[in-house]
Amino acid sequence: MKYLEDIILKLGAVDRRIIFLLIGLAVLIPLLTPISLPVRETPTTVKFYEGIDNIPKNSKVLVSFDYGPSTRPEIHPMNVGVLRHMLRNGHKIYISCLWPDGIYMALDALEEITDEVNPDNQSTFDIKEYEDYVLLGYRPGAEAVIKGLASDLRKVYTVDAKGRFIDDIEMMDEIKNLNDFAYIYSGSAGYPGTFEWVKYGGDPTGVPMSSGTTSVQVNEVIPYVQTGQLIGLLAGMPGAAEYEKLIDSPGIAIQGMAAQSFAHIVIVIFIVFGNLAFFIKQRRDRKY
Amino acid sequence: MTFSAILGAWIAAFLTLGIFSYLYKDNPFYKIAENVFVGVSAAYVAAISFWTQIYPNLFGRLFPKDGPLSFTGLEFDFNHEFNILYLFPLILGLMMLLSVFQQFNWMARWGIAYTVAIAAGLKAFGYLNSNVLNQVKASSVDLFSGSLPFFSLGGDSVFNNIVLLVGTISSLMYFYFSKEQTGNFGRFTRLGIYFLMVSFGASFGFAVMGRISLLIGRFNDLIDYSSADYNFATFYVLLFIIVVLGFWSFKNREK
Repeated sequence: MKYLEDIILKLGAVDRRIIFLLIGLAVLIPLLTPISLPVRETPTTVKFYEGIDNIPKNSKVLVSFDYGPSTRPEIHPMNVGVLRHMLRNGHKIYISCLWPDGIYMALDALEEITDEVNPDNQSTFDIKEYEDYVLLGYRPGAEAVIKGLASDLRKVYTVDAKGRFIDDIEMMDEIKNLNDFAYIYSGSAGYPGTFEWVKYGGDPTGVPMSSGTTSVQVNEVIPYVQTGQLIGLLAGMPGAAEYEKLIDSPGIAIQGMAAQSFAHIVIVIFIVFGNLAFFIKQRRDRKY
Repeated sequence: MTFSAILGAWIAAFLTLGIFSYLYKDNPFYKIAENVFVGVSAAYVAAISFWTQIYPNLFGRLFPKDGPLSFTGLEFDFNHEFNILYLFPLILGLMMLLSVFQQFNWMARWGIAYTVAIAAGLKAFGYLNSNVLNQVKASSVDLFSGSLPFFSLGGDSVFNNIVLLVGTISSLMYFYFSKEQTGNFGRFTRLGIYFLMVSFGASFGFAVMGRISLLIGRFNDLIDYSSADYNFATFYVLLFIIVVLGFWSFKNREK
């Protein structure tokens, strides 16, 4: 027993660099040799899917890219999935960005999708700017931008991302403010993002909205789902993987779930050994 | 593969591995990557804010084509009418920039005061409406509904509603400090602590999941950059960093 305790004590005091290395390997190996693990949809993801699926066909929807390269692995698969889902249903997409590099994320997502085959009609999406989507671009100001969009879109966006006058874009003809959209979606990595869209976009206008967020934000955002302020939620990479499964477009999120699972197993093992080592050390240090 | 794509991959691999090198210890590669990140981010935000907001929305409204200020020679055609009110944000903005001069830095306070007041007003309404009123309304759950099942893991149920109600009240009671937390009241607030701990545990779990997701993203890119298309960028950069770090550690072994 003492021998076992000594081993646990040694494991509990292992150099942090060894832990980093093990977590790195736990992530890297499943990425190099893909392992398929089952993905089970959670109720919030199903609600999210149904929310988007229930938008009347050929509606005008606002998609906000509120993230940058640092959180791309989590949010990008969600946004690509949402664009696919919306394009399949014939929606016109209006893209805004509350983050400066969101515009490049949007361009990447659009480029990724345009040559893809739409499983519904077996032809490529072949999306065209000003016919299928308008890239409004980035505006600084966070919640002030959303408030501006809620009252008068043209006060915030006079030109689109390419510098073309909003008044010269036919797709923008009937768009005055957020009330003219059938749905709002925000792929959000923090501030400004989901919270601001709920407070200054969705709640005041009553336009249904949903969001995909980083895992770190989930605990704070999920009460909005319970209250109905958000129609479902994509929670981090697992949420993206579940959504990819629901829209039947397996992508990078599903591929990453095996690495995610293995890394968590390593972390849980070290938490268990760390705690055991702590209690053993505490007992041995006790003098009486 | 174009030259710019390959060069981009090499820079990305270098910066990623430079940041990862901090896991070993603080070192010059990490410092380079960190400083490049901070510098590029600040410059990028400044440039994009100017060209997408100040230029069309401020200058476009103060100096429109054929506007009353066109005699200055400044004309920006963005289909706007002249609006004198936009002079106000221009002056406040300039006053904020004056904070760099010691004798004028009091002027910056006006701009900052305006911004803080606007933000406070905006946020107060948003929080009250979305985070207080709506959440209070949502915590008014039906405990005796005949239409709900008694127990359900995923959806609404009487049991889940009881957990929600007890959890909310006991957690809030933990922060009620005007009564000593002893006896039955103490036991109830202790229950509140357990609910809070479950919440913190969930937050920690989600935070770990988020970090691993980001690691997966970087690894995916590094795997891509290790291919022949990018001239094996990841391998060469990794080798270079390991060799230089090893030499650097050897030279600084006393430290």
